[in-house]
Amino acid sequence: MKKKILNYIKANLATESINELDIYENLLESGLVDSIGMIQLVLFIETEAQIKVAPEEMIINNFMTVDHILKFIASKQNSEEKQV
Amino acid sequence: MKSTYNLPQLIDNVARLSPDREAFRYLEESISYGELFEKSNQLAFHLVSIGIKKGDRIGVFMNRCLETCIAVYGILKSGAAYVPLDTSAPVVKTISIIKDCEITCLITTTTKRRKVNQLLKEQSSLNIIIGDTIKNTIPSVSWNDIFSTRVGDFVPPPILEQDLAFILYTSGSTGKPKGIMHTHYSALSLSKIASSTYDFNSDDVFGNPAPLHFDPSTFGYFVAPLVGATTVIIPDAHLKMPASLSALIAKEKITVWYSVPLMLIQLLNSGTLGKNDFSSLRWVLFAGEVFITKHLRALMKQWPHARFSNLYGPAELILCTYYHVPEPPINDKPIPIGNVWNNTEYKILDDDNNDVLPGETGQLAIRSATMMQGYWNNKALTEQSFHRVTVADGYDHVYYKTGDLTQLNCNGDLLFLGRNDRQIKLRGYRVELDEIELTLLKYADVEEVAVLVLGKDEETQQLAAVIKPGKDASIKLTHLMEFCKVQLPYYAIPKTIEVMADLPRTSSGKISRKELGKLLEEHHL
Repeated sequence: MKKKILNYIKANLATESINELDIYENLLESGLVDSIGMIQLVLFIETEAQIKVAPEEMIINNFMTVDHILKFIASKQNSEEKQV
Repeated sequence: MKSTYNLPQLIDNVARLSPDREAFRYLEESISYGELFEKSNQLAFHLVSIGIKKGDRIGVFMNRCLETCIAVYGILKSGAAYVPLDTSAPVVKTISIIKDCEITCLITTTTKRRKVNQLLKEQSSLNIIIGDTIKNTIPSVSWNDIFSTRVGDFVPPPILEQDLAFILYTSGSTGKPKGIMHTHYSALSLSKIASSTYDFNSDDVFGNPAPLHFDPSTFGYFVAPLVGATTVIIPDAHLKMPASLSALIAKEKITVWYSVPLMLIQLLNSGTLGKNDFSSLRWVLFAGEVFITKHLRALMKQWPHARFSNLYGPAELILCTYYHVPEPPINDKPIPIGNVWNNTEYKILDDDNNDVLPGETGQLAIRSATMMQGYWNNKALTEQSFHRVTVADGYDHVYYKTGDLTQLNCNGDLLFLGRNDRQIKLRGYRVELDEIELTLLKYADVEEVAVLVLGKDEETQQLAAVIKPGKDASIKLTHLMEFCKVQLPYYAIPKTIEVMADLPRTSSGKISRKELGKLLEEHHL
């Protein structure tokens, strides 16, 4: 999942050409991903991780870095498993 | 009574009477009017000491942060003009602006180090960096060094209201950037007219989401200080995460919000408006593009205690008309842009620059105290954009031709009916379709190109490019996309590029964008 997200950002969303991207790069402050890009990223994650991101979950703490995104996905998958 | 005729006096006035009042806030950081007076003085002193003279242009290369207000007022106090640079713009674009107005000194922060180093690799007039110490051959000084400067009995140079205050660069249809020059007078006029139109006062808290290079930032940076109010600079991150933005507006108890409609629609869709307390909000102002009426109605119902006002004006005028929306619109008809505000008059012109008859459609031309001085280093373009009405030999009334089509309705309100050229608004950004096409044509093997906007809804609207390759040429689309990223600002990069062996044409042989649009919509949407 980590690789998939990093590759997707690099190939489709980055507003500048970058070679290296790590999971701690701040996606929101750096301007690397614009607001439309963030919406695309959410759609990508929903499909790949088979989760549903509610509008009120579109917060900085869930999407600041790829690291945050991975933790958010894990917590979603966890809580969905519990519900089952 | 002391009169106010230049922008730094806005800060001086409040600092003298209430130095502890909060001027700007950015998350947990804050600066009072007294501190802003002090720190902008230190920056101005430093600038003068390194040889900056009146009329010089200084670049501001920063994200939204607290230091922006020190940079703006420090530069203005030194007698120079500030040139805000979009930190997300491609390097070539930024360098062309730096060259166009011969910027020698750039003010930045440490967070922009990677990009500043990229800029320094290019040939340009840059030779001093302030705000970060750069391991390089050119002199640089940190913010801490500036703030420990002793200014002694420093007396800033005299600044007249007609002096240049800032240059805002926007895309030009020829691909060459256009620098819109505003003076202390035009910006101060905006402060005075806006604060009287909306009855702003010192208890107001302004939400400022606009970056400095975007003209709505003049509200937060110049209108709020006139009334001694506080401006909350909204961080970049919140603007991409609507639910966080919603919480921040409530937490900061913002009373005056001013943004493009899209940001308000994203707030509306965030599903958080019912959960946060927005009781402080008294004015919701929007400009920059048409607010789709059904979304406006939904938002007005969410915030019944707030008043809503539609503002209109190209960056050349900053703003010029307003329309207070009396109640949630009952039908989906677009709301008017209203009427001109104080110190402003208008004409609606036909293709021969004659006044149209009442009720007829024509180009809006505006004469106002907030009008720009002209385009930097481009007299021909300036003159082309003006409409002169000669009152007597040697005395003209000068109007700015907006390029926007308008019509007066039976209530005496102006209606906005679109553009008379190929400039569009995409999520609030001014985009010249011709400029994008010219850029794509620079790429080897692109023989013809058409760029158009797909999608009706402003949230899903996107740019699409269709190219016709040269004979026997094969174009790698991923390379072409990379090329766009280097050449164009991110909001002007086509989301899709299609290759066609030939483009649909009108009977006269021109590319039929209408036909092309239909073809693409059928394929994608």
